[in-house]
Amino acid sequence: MRNDASLSTDSWTTARHLLGSALEMDGSELPKDTAIGQLAEWDSLAHMRLILALEEYLQTQLSPDKLVAIGSLADIATLLEKWHLSSSRG
Amino acid sequence: MSDDKDMTQHWRPGELLRVETDRFFLRSLTPDDATEAYVSWWNDPEIQEGLNAPARGWDRQRAIKHISQFDNKTRFHLGIFCKNTNKMIGFFAVFVEQGRKVAKTNVVIGDKDYWGRRVVHEVRARMLDFLFDVLKMEKVKGEIYGRNIGSIFNYKELGFTSEGILRKEINHFSGGRADVYLFGLLRDEWKARRSAVDAHEK
Repeated sequence: MRNDASLSTDSWTTARHLLGSALEMDGSELPKDTAIGQLAEWDSLAHMRLILALEEYLQTQLSPDKLVAIGSLADIATLLEKWHLSSSRG
Repeated sequence: MSDDKDMTQHWRPGELLRVETDRFFLRSLTPDDATEAYVSWWNDPEIQEGLNAPARGWDRQRAIKHISQFDNKTRFHLGIFCKNTNKMIGFFAVFVEQGRKVAKTNVVIGDKDYWGRRVVHEVRARMLDFLFDVLKMEKVKGEIYGRNIGSIFNYKELGFTSEGILRKEINHFSGGRADVYLFGLLRDEWKARRSAVDAHEK
């Protein structure tokens, strides 16, 4: 089971920034449990913008399994956390 | 939802079907619906990419042939019409595996002015009611050919579960191979979701 409490502040901040930009709103106040289906702004076009922004940030195309896993702010933060950890290992 | 024109309660297999949503109505297409706009959607590369196909090069007769192969029993080809204008903006196809009680659907929004306006969510939700309540399906599934982010979102938003990814399963129409993304929604899952929405709205 994923433990969102263990995710770093940086991961949440970046996730909020990326999601907020995709939703064309200020992401800084997005609750940690923000997910698809909760915000009218999170529609299919916003989701495309989000995925493209994530891939630009990560400098790589998301694999299919990672692509289908993105459905919440926590999913984004988790993905970023794992990427940061793997990047820091060199 | 207005149900004065919604035919689902009295519909019988083989009859033309009409269902209503807040903003749209869906009805079985007939050869007369092979309009210039409808034909153009089959010949639009951007629209056909979502179906993993090139522009088809269809004429009106070919489109009529396509419409005519749906029987309104286990295969449905419903136009999506805007209530305000009576203009067809897309279509919704259903393929039923009667023995297994499983249905597969796909949606095409041909009128690009309606992209990003939550049309798929609204019409697919209504059709799920029809498939589970009237056709008594146990499961509805979706297959996405290739990396169609919008379609992935649309299935997730309605509570479909990602059931797997068939890696490099099919030829991509532009060359190379493409993955197939499998999504599924069970009857009980849809009922629970509907109950939660109804309780929230009260």
